[in-house]
Amino acid sequence: MNSENLLLLLILLPFAGSALAALLPANARNTEAWLSGCITITAFAIVVYLYPSISAGEILRNEIEWLPGSDLNFTLRMDGFAWMFSILVTGIGFLVVLYARYYMSPEDPVPRFFSFLLAFAGAMQGIVISGNLILLAIFWELTSIFSFLLIGYWHHNTAARDGARMSLIVTGTGGLCLLAGLVLLGYITDSYDLDHVLAAGNTIREHELYVPVLVLILLGALTKSAQFPFHFWLPNAMAAPTPVSAYLHSATMVKAGVFLLTRLWPVLSGTDEWFLLLGLAGMSSLLLSAYFAIFQQDLKGLLAYSTISHLGLITTLLSFGSPLAAVAAIFHMLNHATFKASLFMAAGIIDHEAGTRDMRKLSGLFSFMPITATLAMVASAAMAGVPLLNGFLSKEMFFSETLGQHSGSVLDSVLPYAATLAGAFSVTYSIRFIHTVFFGPKPLGLPREPHEPPHWMRRPIEFLVLACLIIGIVPGITIGPYLHTAVTSVLREYTPLYSLAVWHGINTPLIMSMTALIGGALLYLMLQNYLAQSEDGPPGIRQLKGQRIFERSLVTLSWRWARWMEDTFGTQRLQPQLFLVIFIALIAGCWPFLGTDPAFNLESTTGMDPAFAVLWGIGIACALGAAYQAKYHRLAALILMGGAGLVTCITFVWFSAPDLAVTQLLVEIVTTVLILLGLRWLPKRMEQIDDATTLIARTRRLRDFVLAVSCGGGMTLIAYTIMTNAELPETIAGFFLERAYSEGGGSNVVNVILVDFRGFDTFGEITVLGIVALTVYALLRRFRPAPDSIEIPEQQRIQNDFDDRHPNRKVGETVHDYLMVPAVLMQWMFPFIILLAVYFFLRGHDLPGGGFAAGITLAIGLLLQYLASDTRWVEDRLRILPVRWIGLGLLLAALTGMGSWLFGFPFLTSHSTYLEIPLIGKIPVATALFFDLGVLLLVVGATALMLIAIAHQSIRSHRARAIESAKTQEDD
Amino acid sequence: MDFLLPDFTPAYPEIFLLFMICVVMLADLFAGEKNRLLSFYLSLLTLAGCAFITYGIYSTEVRYTFSGMFVGDAMSDTLKLMIYLTVAAVLIYSRAYISLRGLLKGEFFSLTLFATLGMMVMVSASHLITLYLGIELLSLSLYAMVALQRESAVATEAAIKFFVLGALASGFLLYGMSMLYGATGTLHISELTKSIQQGTADHDIFVVGLVFVVAGISFKLSAVPFHMWAPDVYEGAPTAITLFIGSAPKLAAFGFVMRLLVEGLGELATDWQGMLVLLSVASMAVGNFVAIAQLNIKRMLAYSTISHVGFVLLGFIAIGENGYSSAMFYVIAYVLMTLGAFGIIMLLSREGFEADKISDFKGLNQRSPWLAFMMLLIMFSMAGVPPMIGFYAKLAVFQAVLEAGYVWLVVVAVVLALIGAFYYLRIIKFMYFDAPEDTRPILFKPDVRILISTNGLAIVLLGIFPQALMGLSLSAIQHSM
Repeated sequence: MNSENLLLLLILLPFAGSALAALLPANARNTEAWLSGCITITAFAIVVYLYPSISAGEILRNEIEWLPGSDLNFTLRMDGFAWMFSILVTGIGFLVVLYARYYMSPEDPVPRFFSFLLAFAGAMQGIVISGNLILLAIFWELTSIFSFLLIGYWHHNTAARDGARMSLIVTGTGGLCLLAGLVLLGYITDSYDLDHVLAAGNTIREHELYVPVLVLILLGALTKSAQFPFHFWLPNAMAAPTPVSAYLHSATMVKAGVFLLTRLWPVLSGTDEWFLLLGLAGMSSLLLSAYFAIFQQDLKGLLAYSTISHLGLITTLLSFGSPLAAVAAIFHMLNHATFKASLFMAAGIIDHEAGTRDMRKLSGLFSFMPITATLAMVASAAMAGVPLLNGFLSKEMFFSETLGQHSGSVLDSVLPYAATLAGAFSVTYSIRFIHTVFFGPKPLGLPREPHEPPHWMRRPIEFLVLACLIIGIVPGITIGPYLHTAVTSVLREYTPLYSLAVWHGINTPLIMSMTALIGGALLYLMLQNYLAQSEDGPPGIRQLKGQRIFERSLVTLSWRWARWMEDTFGTQRLQPQLFLVIFIALIAGCWPFLGTDPAFNLESTTGMDPAFAVLWGIGIACALGAAYQAKYHRLAALILMGGAGLVTCITFVWFSAPDLAVTQLLVEIVTTVLILLGLRWLPKRMEQIDDATTLIARTRRLRDFVLAVSCGGGMTLIAYTIMTNAELPETIAGFFLERAYSEGGGSNVVNVILVDFRGFDTFGEITVLGIVALTVYALLRRFRPAPDSIEIPEQQRIQNDFDDRHPNRKVGETVHDYLMVPAVLMQWMFPFIILLAVYFFLRGHDLPGGGFAAGITLAIGLLLQYLASDTRWVEDRLRILPVRWIGLGLLLAALTGMGSWLFGFPFLTSHSTYLEIPLIGKIPVATALFFDLGVLLLVVGATALMLIAIAHQSIRSHRARAIESAKTQEDD
Repeated sequence: MDFLLPDFTPAYPEIFLLFMICVVMLADLFAGEKNRLLSFYLSLLTLAGCAFITYGIYSTEVRYTFSGMFVGDAMSDTLKLMIYLTVAAVLIYSRAYISLRGLLKGEFFSLTLFATLGMMVMVSASHLITLYLGIELLSLSLYAMVALQRESAVATEAAIKFFVLGALASGFLLYGMSMLYGATGTLHISELTKSIQQGTADHDIFVVGLVFVVAGISFKLSAVPFHMWAPDVYEGAPTAITLFIGSAPKLAAFGFVMRLLVEGLGELATDWQGMLVLLSVASMAVGNFVAIAQLNIKRMLAYSTISHVGFVLLGFIAIGENGYSSAMFYVIAYVLMTLGAFGIIMLLSREGFEADKISDFKGLNQRSPWLAFMMLLIMFSMAGVPPMIGFYAKLAVFQAVLEAGYVWLVVVAVVLALIGAFYYLRIIKFMYFDAPEDTRPILFKPDVRILISTNGLAIVLLGIFPQALMGLSLSAIQHSM
């Protein structure tokens, strides 16, 4: 298989294994371990197999087109540095799997564990060999997610849940920042391809976006590598199972941050911003965490802080921007991974066999587990930087680097001392780890009787410790070539000369090392007794926990601010919502005129008839009055609305549109009457609203008034300007005027349009009208009036009381002759109204009128009967079958339309002629007349149907009252 | 008067749907109580038929008909296919829910289909009146659907609010359109562009019209500051209806913005770009911040929708094929996620229990690991975590905006996306790390199980292999604009 496909296989293998592992049964601990072991060892073998081409300086690439349009390819790229990390990911991955087989108890749901672990390995491998920035960010986020799932593996444990959540929020957030930074980086260099970006160092450093890019990328890297001030999640993540800590929190995931910094070192480093930001974060982590580590009582807590501190060391080295420092950083990444992973595993064994990780309880374990103790001792010595171990070599390089010149500030002189102090601290906590746990008196009250772990559980530690020793003693021939491959791939032509020899003669770094060793040991001696019983955490600043600050800021951000925002900007009440919407619309409407000189052209007001102005004044006053009364006096509002409508009608007459005026007038009447009838069934209006008169209410109303006036005024102004100034587009009016008579056979253009030119539309409209009427009828049939509107109206109550008090009056005598005079008038008027309707209908084609107007007129005639007389009285005498009217009307209209088919014309083609009728004279008889008749019938039917539906409510309310009173009588 | 029959071909799906709506209504009338599912199957069949027809008439050509009032092009056909798919998913997800709540009635299906018809008209409109017709057909159906559960006071209140505010927004839109007409003398969308190009129109009037049109649009999209209706309606409506309102209409709204702003007023892009920037930033900020404070998951998802709308708008701000296609991709991704999220809320609900509190998700992993996993995928996707589709959707719009030179906007958007990630993660925490308050098993039918699994898988697979969908969006935009 060629190396390109092997790269792909490296990524796919763990993910495939993860899917497979998830499907295995819950108790398949051995199968799971075998599966995971095989996958990690195969991956390791692949990486090893690739070494010859890598060492030859080749960069292996595998590019799969992913999204060609947006420069996003699935690019895998392995160079020496990536190779070194791949060895860590797969090799330590294998050791951790082996270890986990024995660490996890049979009760744990292992499929989930191994599945997540393998997926994590895949994601980590992905970060390492991504050749595309976006791909890298994707894998980066994946590691955060799987780390979250792994930390929270024992989710019944509160600490595990909190730790998982915190790590996800911190690293996930960092990841998104990183993504933003990388996208910007891609924007600067015009490509997301890593090679392309790495070749554009100067462009990036000189770009105006350099600082934002740097800050965003550093946020990503520092959160991942748990650097100060984002370090607090790592100690909390120690609730994870120990194999997870060994793998994620020492060897791989936390290294992703420094990996990325090293990866981008050639293009980002070397500026003052880089040194200051990274150096400060690194130095603070190095020093503070080493100090905190001394005072931890939890074994894993100690290791976690030590990890932060060592990562701080790497970060500091990277911040220097000198090639030699970068070499030291890369070397230390490797060394730290080896000794820290073995220490975590050792801590896990202690926890597993002794049942606790509390250093106040543990002591004298040497006699129970001598081999493990020895291994742990060697590893701690490496951590402390004792000569002949790998930790010593890279620490030595670090010390010598701190002596150099960096920014020329006070930092330069402080650095060596700080470094030595941190070294001393690390010696102290290393000694503490060993001395407390393995030496001293026999332990008392341990949960379990400690003993050596199973043989194979110790193997990974043995292997790693051996590596520490070999590298420490003969670095040049063991790690030298591999390190060199990694270094040259990062630094390329800037690769400095460096030597990995153990002995460089007596020089300043060696003196610093010795000072640190001795100082550390002395410090431990001084603190020994205090530490044996002290609380967890460093004295003095125990209260100052990043965790608490984090939680508190989270609550503020996530709850208080959010609540405040919702309270301020969100409202669930319709009124303020409407106010806001209209207010914003007003502002938006004014926006285009900001800064410009609004050229409203209002000259054409001259020549206005004063009478017309007065008319409109009345109309406007009516409309305002209606709005004012709408809430408190519905009847008045309705009547005022009628006034406004009337003014509109007169306006139509004024502008010589009598047909429109007639129609408008009729429509006004019919709607007003219908609303009047419906008014009866609205819930009672509020007579007294307590807070209606307070100052706040008045201000609010004033505010609403101002808004309404300015919106209305603004709209009027704009509409007026446009109507008077804009060139009117050519309309279709001319077409109709020209052809109404010649082709439609009528001189009332509106009517001709309705029944002829736009007959099809009218046909649709009357159908809709019919449906609406039926719907209103159906809805009202089920209508139950509100309880407070079933009561007898006030007038009737007074009248009934009056009747009751006078013995000579029968109950209901007054009601009997109620509205007698109007009723008689209406009855007398009925025939005349019918005649008027016929008149309207017949003249419709040439003069104002038409089927619609006639229909409405007829309907008004019926309405008046219902209004003036009793519903039952009317229905006893008049059989109206509105549904039949509707049906007949529709049918007639449709038949007229279809009639034209007989003559081979399209639907609704009309033909017109004149007919001489005795007495009446010559009338126009277009086929449209039949169509118009259909319209008439339908309009009458629809209006009557709605009217009857409303009218019957009053009959039913009588019935409801009767039932109500019957009930109360029964109860009595 | 002579009169030529228009070419009906581009409108075949609409005509078929209208015919089938009548069939569904009649069938429901005669089917009786026992055969209520008939309407359900008929509706699904109708959608399948529509899809078949749309697929059959699909072509990359732009076809105008009805005197240029109606258009069929690649974008409209693609969006219509997505709409059918979404509506079908809504119906399947809702079946159990509505039958338990007595909503399994003809009205539900006929209103859903009418709304679908409205959406189809919206995406195929090439005339302002047609566009408005589509919007109103959709909106009126939605108002009625929200009020469908007549005994529920909350639902009725939501419907009233929705109606009042919606009517106001329609007023804005019409007012804006009338200004455009006043300025150009045409209602044809394609002629609007011409008249701007020729410089015959009064720029000031145009911009006033534009402002009101944009206000109307942002109401339909529920962008801040015209977002107030969304949380109330999402919360008040029965979940099945919320699912419908939250999903398919967003596809139509996308088409609507494309037609009106891009196709019609593309020449004024510099004028509307600024307005959209404001809307987008405000939506992302308010949506993400306020979502955190919610205890009701439907309300939370409403705010989440508002914030997603902000991201979609970013695509429009970018201007250009890449921007529009990334916005389209985002909308489709959003619809997928919304379907899944509300689908799961409905699966958790029972008779008399709505499962609309965020705390109802506690311990879901123990009750149904598969559902919890699906919800995990959806939440990660909404938060924009790779490799889910939501990540790619965000990335695509960010890239487009970056190309347009709005670096600060990208930075703001990323920060707000970050804040947004928080409340999605809270649900995951509840599902995986908290003990369930209710241990009753969750029952659902196999068809729903298949649907939710497909939905979840689509979210992952389309995130890993987005090129198919991205290509589809790009070609739809390229062939239509």
